[in-house]
Amino acid sequence: MSDVPFRNPGWAGNTGEFDLTEEQVRGDDFIGQRPLHGGHSSVSGTMPYMLVERNPQAGLFEGEYQERLEKILTRYPKKRAALLPVLGMVQELRGYVSPESMDRVAELLDLSPAYVRGVTTFYTMYNKRPVGRHLVQVCTNISCNLCGADEVLAAFLRYTDIELGATSEDGDFTVIEAECLAACGFPTCVQINSRYFENVTPADVPKIIEHLRAQVAGSD
Amino acid sequence: MAYPYVSDLEVRVISKYFGDPGQRRIDTYVERGGYKGLQKALGLEPDAVTEEVKASGLRGRGGAGFPTGVKWSFMPKESIRPHYLLCNADESEPGTFKDRELMRWDPHQLIEGCLIGAYAIRAQHIYIYCRGEFFEVNQILARAVEDAYAKGYAGEDILGTGTTIDITVHQGAGAYICGEETGLMRSLEGERGEPRVKPPFPAAVGVFGMPSTINNVETLAAVPHIILNGGEWYRQWGTEKSPGTKLFCVSGHVQKPGNYELPLGFPLIDLIEHVCGGIRDGNELKAVIPGGSSVPLINAEDSSICTLDYEGCVEVGTMLGCASVIVMDHKADIVKQVRRMVDFYAHESCGQCTQCREGSAWTARILRRIEEGQGTEEDLDTLMEMTQQMVGTTICVLSDSVAAPVQSSIKKFKDDYLALIRGGERVGAA
Repeated sequence: MSDVPFRNPGWAGNTGEFDLTEEQVRGDDFIGQRPLHGGHSSVSGTMPYMLVERNPQAGLFEGEYQERLEKILTRYPKKRAALLPVLGMVQELRGYVSPESMDRVAELLDLSPAYVRGVTTFYTMYNKRPVGRHLVQVCTNISCNLCGADEVLAAFLRYTDIELGATSEDGDFTVIEAECLAACGFPTCVQINSRYFENVTPADVPKIIEHLRAQVAGSD
Repeated sequence: MAYPYVSDLEVRVISKYFGDPGQRRIDTYVERGGYKGLQKALGLEPDAVTEEVKASGLRGRGGAGFPTGVKWSFMPKESIRPHYLLCNADESEPGTFKDRELMRWDPHQLIEGCLIGAYAIRAQHIYIYCRGEFFEVNQILARAVEDAYAKGYAGEDILGTGTTIDITVHQGAGAYICGEETGLMRSLEGERGEPRVKPPFPAAVGVFGMPSTINNVETLAAVPHIILNGGEWYRQWGTEKSPGTKLFCVSGHVQKPGNYELPLGFPLIDLIEHVCGGIRDGNELKAVIPGGSSVPLINAEDSSICTLDYEGCVEVGTMLGCASVIVMDHKADIVKQVRRMVDFYAHESCGQCTQCREGSAWTARILRRIEEGQGTEEDLDTLMEMTQQMVGTTICVLSDSVAAPVQSSIKKFKDDYLALIRGGERVGAA
C-alpha cells in the first residue's frame, strides 16, 4: 500500500497542500495485518478484508476461518446476529456470495435458505455474482458529483474499456457507481476493493489502473 | 499544519489530533490525558455521569439533536436484563464525513466515550456498528479495542473497579437505512435493516429485545471531555439551546473543503467565506444544503443570515442535521443534483412503505424527464403534491428526506426547472 506512485494520499482538498506520508495517513504500520482468526476473543465482530485473489471453490470456515467463526458466535447473544459477519467472511474467501454459499450459511446458523437470501440481497456490499479482482466503486453522489465525479467514472470506463457494471475479459476490473462513501470533502472518492482513493481526477485514472494491474501481476 | 486545512476560528476539542497518526496508539493517547475521563466516571455513580452530560446540554450529533443526557436517563435503573450501548458509526448521509475522520484519527477517544456511556446506562456490552465500506476504519478500531483490552480499560474488572464492559466492532454491509436507529438494531440482529414503528423506544425494547441506547460517534467522542472538565465547561461554547462545539463537514464548491470544529451558532456565511476560503474560482454562491442531503436547500440570501445551530437553521426553513454543509456555486445544476439525491433515496429505500418505495422512484423518473428537457410545468405541481404525501406518513424519515430537497428546490430555484422545461439554456453545467 505504501508504494502508491501518485500525489494524493487523500483528504488534502483541491490543492493538495499536505505533508504527511502515505503510511501516516493509512496507518499501515499501526493497523498491520490483522489476524485472519479474528483477534481477541471478545473484541471484533469481524475482521474484514477484500482480497484481490479469491477462489469461488474455497472451503468455507476451515482452519483460521473456523476459529474466527467460533469467536464471532461468542460475541452475540443470538446465533442469527452472526449472519452479516459470516456472509462477509464468505465474500472474503470466495469473492461473491453464491446461492450455494447462502444455503451453507443457512445450515450453519439454523436459518432457512430463503431468509438468508432475503438478507443477502438487501445489502449492497454482498456481491451476488462474481466481480473482477478490483471492484472499482466511483461515488457519484452530490458532493463528488458537484466536483466532477461523472468525468471520473467515464475515465474509469474508458481506460478499462468496459461497460458500467460489467467485468473486463481478463477478470481484473469491475466498475460500478457507488452511493456516498463518506469522503465528501475529498472528491472524487473511489473505493477500490477495501481502499479509498480520494481527490481522484480523470487525469489520475490511468496511473491508478496501471498501479492496480501491477498489483495483479505481482501476485502471480 | 498538516491536517487538510485548519482555521484560527476553530475550537478543536474532539478534532484536536486530526492528522496526527500517533494519536492512534494507546500509549500516546494515555500520555496526552486519555482515559482520565473514564477513570473519573468510574469513581462516580452512573446517574451522576448522566447528570453531568445533561448539565453540558450535549445534543445528539447524528441529526436529530436530542439531548444525550436525557436519552440516557430513559434507561431502566433497576433491571436484571442486560443493557446495550450501540454506537452508530454507519455514516452514510451524503455530505457527511466526520465520523470516519473521528474514528481513523482518534479511535481511543470514541472507545473511551463508549465506555463512559455504557457505564452511565449500566450496559455490559457495546456494539460499534461501523459502516461496511470502512475497511480501514474497522481495522483501526479493532486494533484500538484490542489495545484497550490489553491495558485493562475494557473487558472484565475495568481499572480494578469491578465494572465489566465488552466492546464489539460490528461491520455493516452497505445500507443507508441502517443508520436509522431501529434499522440499525435489526441489522445488528442479523435481519434486513428495515426500521420498525416506535414506540416501543429502544430504551424499553432495543437490540435483542433488551434496553438499548444508540448514540452517534461524534456525540460519544465529546463525552470524555465533558466528564473530565464538567458540563459547565462545555457550555462556554455555542448557544443556550445548542451548547458546545460541532464538526462541520464542508464539501462542494469551496476553496478548502474539510472538517472544521466550530462553536454551534457560527454564522454560515463566515464558515464559507472565512473558514473555507470562499467559493472556488471566485464564483458566486447559489445554494447551500446545511445539514446533509436530507434537509431543505437554502439560497444565497438565506445563507447570509443563517446561523449554524439547531434553532438558527430552522429559522431559515432548513435543519442543521449532521452539519454537512454542501455548497453550490452559480454553475451548479440544481435539477441534476436534486435528481441525483432522489436517485440515492430510491436506491436506499428499504421498501416497506408504499409512499417511500414507489414515491422515491417515481419522483426520480419525473426529475429525470425534466432534466432531459421532456418535462412540463404540471410536473412541478405533481412533484410538490406527491412529495407532500411522503412527509410524515411512513415508518421512518427516509421518505421525508426525499421531499426536503425536491420541495425546497422547486420553491427557491423554480427558474432552473422552468428553464429546462421551456427548453431554454441550462442554468448550470456541473
